[in-house]
Amino acid sequence: MIRNKRKIFILILFIIFLLALYIAIFAGYNDNGIGMFIKTLNLSDNDSDSIILKLLRYPRALKSIIAGSCLALAGLFMQSVSKNPLAEPYITGVSSGAGLGIVISVLYFNSSNYSLFGFAGALISSLAVICFAGLNRFSITKLILTGLAVNLFAGSLISLFILTNPQKAQSILFILSGGFNSSNIISDKTLFFIFILGIIISCYFIPKLNFMRIDNGILSSFKKEKDIYTLSAIIISAFLTSLSVFAAGILGFIGIIIPQITKMFIGNDYRYLFFANILAGASLVLFSDYLSRVLFYPLQIPLGLVIAITGAPVFVFFLTKKGDIFSSYDRN
Amino acid sequence: MIEINNLSFSFGETLFFNNINVSFHKNKINVILGQNGTGKTTLLKLTANLLKPQQGSINICDMQAFYLPQKTSYISGITLYEYLSSIFFKQKFKWILSRNEKNQINWILYELEIYEKKDILTENLSGGELQKANIALGLLSGANLLLLDEPVSNLDLVNQIKVFNIIEKLKQLSVTTIIILHDLNLAARYGDFFAGIDKYRNIYGSDKENFFTPEILQKIYNISFSIVKNNGEINVQISK
Repeated sequence: MIRNKRKIFILILFIIFLLALYIAIFAGYNDNGIGMFIKTLNLSDNDSDSIILKLLRYPRALKSIIAGSCLALAGLFMQSVSKNPLAEPYITGVSSGAGLGIVISVLYFNSSNYSLFGFAGALISSLAVICFAGLNRFSITKLILTGLAVNLFAGSLISLFILTNPQKAQSILFILSGGFNSSNIISDKTLFFIFILGIIISCYFIPKLNFMRIDNGILSSFKKEKDIYTLSAIIISAFLTSLSVFAAGILGFIGIIIPQITKMFIGNDYRYLFFANILAGASLVLFSDYLSRVLFYPLQIPLGLVIAITGAPVFVFFLTKKGDIFSSYDRN
Repeated sequence: MIEINNLSFSFGETLFFNNINVSFHKNKINVILGQNGTGKTTLLKLTANLLKPQQGSINICDMQAFYLPQKTSYISGITLYEYLSSIFFKQKFKWILSRNEKNQINWILYELEIYEKKDILTENLSGGELQKANIALGLLSGANLLLLDEPVSNLDLVNQIKVFNIIEKLKQLSVTTIIILHDLNLAARYGDFFAGIDKYRNIYGSDKENFFTPEILQKIYNISFSIVKNNGEINVQISK
């Protein structure tokens, strides 16, 4: 019964995903989109519409999908092993590391490919946080607190950099709010392959989260497995989050709301949540990207702002309707 | 036999157990009794290898231990059947349960008399049913040594009896249990072997006949008891 409900929900999400993909790619064309799509498959075709699709819309859609699904999955991992619905993907210091990387690249390297710097900064800082938390007996609580301290520390450094460089403040702030930079094909391909790698690794570890559903005290009988799975989940989460930074900068909120909303409908079977989070995360970013382009056309507003402004009311709506699933966190 | 020999354990600087010896019996219900703070849970955790002693040895004869804490939380949004299936995802790569694993879950649900609840969500189950589910988790994990920390203290009388009937049944499945209990009459009714800890952390271990004497109980609890034997059943009463 509940399993059929889950399958139907994933089917609905898939349809929403296709719709969001269609809107994000073909919005603004009068012609029918499917025909356009088939036209672009013909590589020799070089009219202006196909070029726009191939060079701008497709890479952008791909990055939206990567950013959204990675963040949602990362949130799912973090919340599962920490057993805390407030744990977010950036908790391992990813956001501050990425921010610092981006700021340094803009200020000192004049780099157009700041997302690479963001990716590197995110990975380095999250690994550092994980190592700090691992010194003298690892615990999730220590990880969260260490991440908090590092985030605050690096956040202050970022503010300092921005304040002391007023001529570049505007562009830095814009980049930090999340969005897509001008793409080049090579980095898009690399990004895609790393993404596939991330999905395959997640595939392996997702069912372990079903095991981690069991109470921590009971799990202490299986200490070896528990510790390995917890650490793997944190590292995967940091990796996926860094990947999302590579794709779309720092986007808040997705890593919290998507896992929670899908849990309200699906319950706590992580095998179903895996697909639901990929689809829902991708749809949210695709749709928000569309809005960020059309809301104040021709002005583009940062994607991160759109997600927070559309996402927050939706989240609160679902929370008031179906929030009783969180009662389990309060019991005992 | 589970043997604990010359064991010393300290929390930081404070010596907690000083050179204790106790043994538990295989395929029996072993009961640990004692006042609060005498170290019953610590002894159980030491047996489960969750705490490391500073000195001495614990030999559990290659049994696989499963420790069930006094308080546990339950995740909501899954059915009882799915809750039990969680334990199988411990293995290396597992997306779908095998037929054999599904049969094991169904069998254990049936044995513990909660089969008809298998499609009920965990948040709608009663405390007794959840406690049975936790015991089932232990059995499904392949454990044959269950260490239960006050498994019935939150349950009403009927559910206490139900859970104990299950625990008694486990003896036939060659499962050894070590249980912390506070109810002396329940202990006397279901236990086979007893270990009492007094407030100086001396351990008195013996079988039912020798354990339920006013002298030993007085040493453990510091109040006087009288024992009433009735057709082989032992009843413990507090003397005035």
